[in-house]
Amino acid sequence: MRQDKTAKRYLINGIALALLMAVSVCISLTGGNTIKLKVVPAVWQCCYLIIMAASLNLVLGFLGQLSLGHCGFMAVGAYTAALISLAFQRAGIYEAKSGAAFILVVIASFIAAGLLAAILGLIVGIPALRLKGDYLAIITLGFGMIIVNLINNIPFCGQQGLSQGAASSALYANGLGFSNDEKMKYMWLGILAVILCMTVMFMFVRSKYGRIIRAIRDNEIAASASGINVSFYKVMTFAFSAFFAGVAGALYSCCNSALATTSFAFTNGSILNSVFIVVMVVIGGMGSLTGSVVAAIGMFLLNYTIKNGAWVNALPGFLQGIFTYPMLVYSVALIIVIMFRPRGIMGTSEFALYDIPKWPARIKKHFAKEAAKSEKREEAAVNE
Amino acid sequence: MKKKKLISLFMAAGMALSLAACGSSSSSEAAASAPASEASAAVSAAGSEAASGDFAGTITLGVIGPMTGTLAVYGTHISNGVELAVEQINADGGVSIGGEAYALATETKDDQGDSTECLNAMNALISDGIGLVVGSATSGCTSAITSVANSEGVVLITPSGTADALTTEMDYVFRTCFKDSFQGQLAAKYAADNGYTKVGIVYCSADTYSAGLRDAFSASCAELGVNVVAEESVATMTDVDYTNQFNKMVSAGAELVFIPFYYDVTGPYLVPQARQAGFSGVLLGCDGVDNTETTIPDGADLSVYNDFYFINHYAEDLAATDVSSCFVSSFKDKYGESPNNFDALGYDAVLVYKKAMEAAGSYAAADVQAALADTSVVYEIASGKFSFDETGTPIKSGVLMGYSYNEGDAAVTKSSIQTLEVE
Repeated sequence: MRQDKTAKRYLINGIALALLMAVSVCISLTGGNTIKLKVVPAVWQCCYLIIMAASLNLVLGFLGQLSLGHCGFMAVGAYTAALISLAFQRAGIYEAKSGAAFILVVIASFIAAGLLAAILGLIVGIPALRLKGDYLAIITLGFGMIIVNLINNIPFCGQQGLSQGAASSALYANGLGFSNDEKMKYMWLGILAVILCMTVMFMFVRSKYGRIIRAIRDNEIAASASGINVSFYKVMTFAFSAFFAGVAGALYSCCNSALATTSFAFTNGSILNSVFIVVMVVIGGMGSLTGSVVAAIGMFLLNYTIKNGAWVNALPGFLQGIFTYPMLVYSVALIIVIMFRPRGIMGTSEFALYDIPKWPARIKKHFAKEAAKSEKREEAAVNE
Repeated sequence: MKKKKLISLFMAAGMALSLAACGSSSSSEAAASAPASEASAAVSAAGSEAASGDFAGTITLGVIGPMTGTLAVYGTHISNGVELAVEQINADGGVSIGGEAYALATETKDDQGDSTECLNAMNALISDGIGLVVGSATSGCTSAITSVANSEGVVLITPSGTADALTTEMDYVFRTCFKDSFQGQLAAKYAADNGYTKVGIVYCSADTYSAGLRDAFSASCAELGVNVVAEESVATMTDVDYTNQFNKMVSAGAELVFIPFYYDVTGPYLVPQARQAGFSGVLLGCDGVDNTETTIPDGADLSVYNDFYFINHYAEDLAATDVSSCFVSSFKDKYGESPNNFDALGYDAVLVYKKAMEAAGSYAAADVQAALADTSVVYEIASGKFSFDETGTPIKSGVLMGYSYNEGDAAVTKSSIQTLEVE
């Protein structure tokens, strides 16, 4: 019976993902100008934000370690993918940015980006994960800054390499930097990357490794007393998470035709920085991968529609004032979420398509419980 | 429990609304001042009032810049300059294309000084059907949108993106400022002309603007026989500690230190810390240093700002043409303050667009691009006369400006010193 249910769940999710892919292919074949200029870039940005938030959730939510340098891994991935694509182009593997050879190179550069980031995660993780809490946060924070400075000072990939006119336009013309048309044409690539990454991450947290790292999060001493090699699993998860951050970086370099290390800093003007990724994980729920997806999309849409959406203009004048300061809106949103959902939007539970028909009953039950609770409280007050 | 939550929610909402009120009150102020200035513009253009009534259509210019965030001053000033130019042009009968007059309008987008946001803003403008864009303020942001401008066929004039390579590869990208290598040359020439032989550089290798200027400056120094004795980099353009770097400058014996940073760090951190580290020579910045007077903290020792110079695009009192003096006076009328170089360069971008549209006889992006690519046209604008070189960068001169501490009124004043040119 239980197995039957699992099979059904897989079937439903499989159909949903296939539909998603089909829709993205349809859009990329038939989309008009507005879709090309507004929807497609937004989808690409969502793609890398989702992978970033979910991969950090592995470390922050499931392993319980605070990492503040996650964008460092993303920077490594972005530069690796961009440089590899350029190297392949110069070696003459592909001429124009189309055809099977190009797609293979793109996929290879995604994987290479992830692998290099994972290796760096290993190198950083081995010494860093001996520490806990604040100390680990400081080390990872330092790591993010070191990476940015390293990249700036490596001659072939530094600031002077990929963000300035000639080199950035080389990346744009021949490498991974997609123009709006190519973003639309290859939107399925971004969606596919997200689906694959999310699937692997889900499988990871549902596997015995997932149970082990949750055990480490809940009580490190108890976990190690039950025979778990704590350091090994910590480092492994860290590297695993770094892999996906690297892939997100590769998506970023597709999305932005110019790479500048300031985009991967600890804080900056946009919603892509190490702090904001942590915020996304916290808002979504530490320990809920679907929560990270929801939060990443939510934060992105909030940011994107403040500037482009019509709903801001529909608000009364005195409210519009807030929206000229986007950073203020994020903080208010964060306050509201944390006040009403202290453990994030999803807490530690996951969202499942299979359960949607059961929602009305669950919601009813929830409110019945709340009502019962408040009745009890009132009774207690009366008795006093 | 619930009450507590509600109260705190109200407090959060109250906080947000109070800030919103600040925001909206300033915008309502702007709204209040706008009709007044419109009225004055209408009065000044009384002769052409009839013309301003019947425009054949409206041409919308896109404006992208950091309206919020650490570099907000740049964006707001560019936008001020653009608005002034648009207002004046409309009052003077608009842009005449093929015998018909067109009014100008603007659509402004905020990029928060971030390249992804800048790209989003650009795409949004393009999808609104805008073909002529002014933006963005910094080289880093602008480099993210140049390729989109080219591939979508949208003309982009950056008022203050100075990185050399911005315009070299892209046919649709132009600028109204000079480029970094030229700015670096001017700085090196100033050092050579004034007899400095030992100079130092403190810069940020992570930033397009800062690293580009440093490259140009040290290359020109080598040509002119000026010795670069020490060179130090900081991690980010928003670093708050420069003490170590200036200790090294002092021990290397630098007489002049080149500081390609933005105004948000020079006022509160860089200059005071340089003096504290015992550096008493000349600090030479570039156009990013303009507006430092707005970031000097209250109660600071103002004497540290002596011997602090910077290269700039334009100085109000060295204004050479009629257009520039007219710009200065009308800007003061509208905004009640003296224009800085971002105001002037934003204003210029609109004037350049107007002339190009009139020359092309069309406001389609491709035609305007063709008109702008004509290197023989001389543009007479607020920051001087210039014509574009083949890459789309103006050939023009710069000015040297400096800050000095005035003991009498206990204030730091900014003044222009000389016009700088390279042969």
